[in-house]
Amino acid sequence: MGNSNIKNYQASRVKEPSYGHGFTPPCQAACPLHMNISEYIDLVAQGKVMEALQVIRDGNPFPSICAYVCTHPCEDACRRGQVDKPIAIRALKRFAVEFGGDRMIQLEAETTQTEKVAIVGSGPAGLACAYYLRKLGYPVTIFEAHSEMGGMLRVGIPQYRLPREVLDTEVQRLTQMGIEIRTNTRVVSLELLFDMGYKAVFITIGAHQSLRMGIEGEESPGVIDGATFLHEVNLGLKPSLEGTVAVVGGGNVAIDAARTAVRLGANKVGILYRRSRTEMPADPTEVEQALEEGLEIMFLVAPTRIKRKNGRLSVTCVRMELGEPDASGRRRPVPIKESAFTKEIDTLIAAIGQAPQTPGDFHLRVGRGSTIQVDPVTLSTNQTGVFAGGDAVTGPATVVEALAAGRLAASRIDDYLQHRYPLVDKEEQESLIGDLLPKTVEMIKKTGRLEPPIVSPEARTRDFKPVELIYDWEAAVNEARRCLRCGMGAEILFQDKCATCLTCLRVCPYHVPYLDDSGTIQIPPDQCQACGICVAECPAKAIVLRKPYDRRHITEELEHALKSAAESKFKPFIVGFCCQYGLFGTGALASLWRGAKAGIWIVPVLCIAKVEADHILRAFEMGAEGVFIAGCGEQCAREDTAFWVRQRVEKVRKILVQIGLESERLQTFVLDTTNEDPAKELDRFAERIGGFYLASLIMQEVKS
Amino acid sequence: MIVAEQKPLEEIRRMIAPYERVLILGCGTCMTVCDAGGEREVSFLHNALRLAQTRSGNGSHTFSEYTVKRQCDLEFLDLIVDRVGDVDAILSLGCGIGVQAIAERFPDIPALPGVNTSFMGASKEWGVWDERCAACGDCRLAETAGICPITRCTKGILNGPCAGTKNGKCEANKDMDCAWILIYKRLERLGQLEKMRRYYPPRNFRAIPRPKRIVSKASIGVGENDG
Repeated sequence: MGNSNIKNYQASRVKEPSYGHGFTPPCQAACPLHMNISEYIDLVAQGKVMEALQVIRDGNPFPSICAYVCTHPCEDACRRGQVDKPIAIRALKRFAVEFGGDRMIQLEAETTQTEKVAIVGSGPAGLACAYYLRKLGYPVTIFEAHSEMGGMLRVGIPQYRLPREVLDTEVQRLTQMGIEIRTNTRVVSLELLFDMGYKAVFITIGAHQSLRMGIEGEESPGVIDGATFLHEVNLGLKPSLEGTVAVVGGGNVAIDAARTAVRLGANKVGILYRRSRTEMPADPTEVEQALEEGLEIMFLVAPTRIKRKNGRLSVTCVRMELGEPDASGRRRPVPIKESAFTKEIDTLIAAIGQAPQTPGDFHLRVGRGSTIQVDPVTLSTNQTGVFAGGDAVTGPATVVEALAAGRLAASRIDDYLQHRYPLVDKEEQESLIGDLLPKTVEMIKKTGRLEPPIVSPEARTRDFKPVELIYDWEAAVNEARRCLRCGMGAEILFQDKCATCLTCLRVCPYHVPYLDDSGTIQIPPDQCQACGICVAECPAKAIVLRKPYDRRHITEELEHALKSAAESKFKPFIVGFCCQYGLFGTGALASLWRGAKAGIWIVPVLCIAKVEADHILRAFEMGAEGVFIAGCGEQCAREDTAFWVRQRVEKVRKILVQIGLESERLQTFVLDTTNEDPAKELDRFAERIGGFYLASLIMQEVKS
Repeated sequence: MIVAEQKPLEEIRRMIAPYERVLILGCGTCMTVCDAGGEREVSFLHNALRLAQTRSGNGSHTFSEYTVKRQCDLEFLDLIVDRVGDVDAILSLGCGIGVQAIAERFPDIPALPGVNTSFMGASKEWGVWDERCAACGDCRLAETAGICPITRCTKGILNGPCAGTKNGKCEANKDMDCAWILIYKRLERLGQLEKMRRYYPPRNFRAIPRPKRIVSKASIGVGENDG
């Protein structure tokens, strides 16, 4: 026991990978799964989609699902929103998932534990819990009452938002991992599960029971609740909806039901919502798309009575006005006296909320809104070995919250089965909370958010095909490059070296460093844009970027290129420091990448502003006959980068001349100033370097 | 602050030619601030010297580099005793004071200056430094509105301006402000123009002995007491 137990414990924990920089960006802090968003967004910007997908998969069991339906709380927290608009994180994830080849990924898992775990319900929480428990080596069985897997993902979310192939692929992968799946199996007794040899049970039965409106005539034919309606449509029944359909409610289910009704051929679909648009809990993008599809939303209207006449429904409604804020913080709707009016419709869909429906035979303690009560830390219920999570515990919530609950449950069930005391995850890194200052915002280049293309309203309402398409490469890269790299900025690592020379304060394009009252330089991490200019200019070398990768990247890449060049027989060789974003992201510099025969060795850099004079000298020292620096110019998301590179180039040129090397051996190509094809420029440069090389060979002959 | 600039590479190479193992020693105070000999410049010079050696094919130096917080105090130099044990020369990127401190602390090792110590001044903006003080030992800034005619007037005259001033600029350099015009304008602004009308006798440079020394501690003999 003792030490080995602790080691075992640490190894077996479901851990989020840590990348070691100092602050958690707000997007990551807002994500229930704590995904390393800034990392994969940057990888997309660099054109490294497979690596991006890897990072996404590290933090999310079913990225393809989130790529379609995530409610992206990260985007609400994104600080780019303070400059112009948040980064389109979900759409970029979809791009990485599709272009990175998520479909091809195969999963395997080995059984290393003996304790069997039963998961009741196959919604996102159940699937995630199964995935992580299986990764930990447990034999896992999922019990699903419906004929198909996925819970709300299958029966709740319409196909135009989440194509079923995506869900099927994920379920298929779980089977591959060796998870046993039992559909059409309703669990009626938990004792039975324990009798069958399961040592722990995870209850994730969702919240499928629609709330009743509590008005007269609710039971009439032609009135259906939202959850049942979506269930039926999603499980293959195609109810024929004719005439006028009214949906009551303002949440995502109401919008889903209404848009589904449009696709089923209803002539006219309207939504009745008792508050106004600002109070609507539905995703604003969804509401926008619904309106485009010809839906009509009547705000501040609530039905009070339904009467069935001649096969139609006569719905009496009242108009509302907004009163004082209620417990939810939204303004309470108050009926306006004598405002009643009647509407003639054919079908009414009530989607005013849902609650879990826990079988009484489970003997679980149930709290407010019929939700299962659990210990917030251990997720255990009032019964030993029974855990619960997802909508069944929280009430209707989001897919990503369910996934997070499933992951946490896996960890807690593992703790339980291994007889360990559950450790509360401590926030490993300090969260970055500060807003951008107006003066920082002012200096940041404004670039509008690029949305992925969507199918036209006329085309998309004809069937259930996905509404949103995928970015093309260039749009994805340009969107990803808008990321402000929160929390990855510069820091004065060696305070004792700092001579307070004020160089950082003077060179920063964003005016971030400042002198505090005691005369010490401060670089506030919530303002720094991580451009790296001060790092390369600090005469005391006291400043570093917080992300360790950023610190060593150029040196490592350079040494690698120099080694390959030295081993190659092609002489002379040229070293080019090229903007990675321009090379493989936007591709504006892609033509600079030549085969080894050309003798041009490219060192991809994450912004040329990080190339230091020392790097250039090092390339020459190791035998490069020419060095060039190619920047993406106007595309650059940062300010002043080309200016600072030119400063360093001039400094090195002076040294070259003193050594007897031609200053033309060092060149800068920055896209906007020359307006010439960088490939042509490089050809000319290579030709000139070849000339210098020949001349030096002849000189050596003459000397000897 | 003391301002210097790095010597031309050729001069440095000639200087170090006789020595095989050379320590390039930076200074973390003034030389860092004026960008002539901080850690970055030490590293840059190190790379440049190695490159020069590789390219020219002559010279077989081995270089090492280090930066101390301040070269002009011997205590800081005590910290590098281990690093100088096997070097043949120390190429200092400190100011002239630093080089002399090294010479004094390490009497057996040649100390070579890598920078030309130029003046005492301030930075005007990033990468630009201006001379401001000549350390004449006889400060007259109270009479000259806080603008030093000794350093900022080409002639260093005490009763200016001379006839060479034109449109506020100096006849020696049309881009350079005439210090005495600046003094006049500022005295006018302060309402102290009468200071312009006074005559200041020439300073007696013979009365200023070199090297200077300032002793701020009182000389207290053993056994004395206040009573």
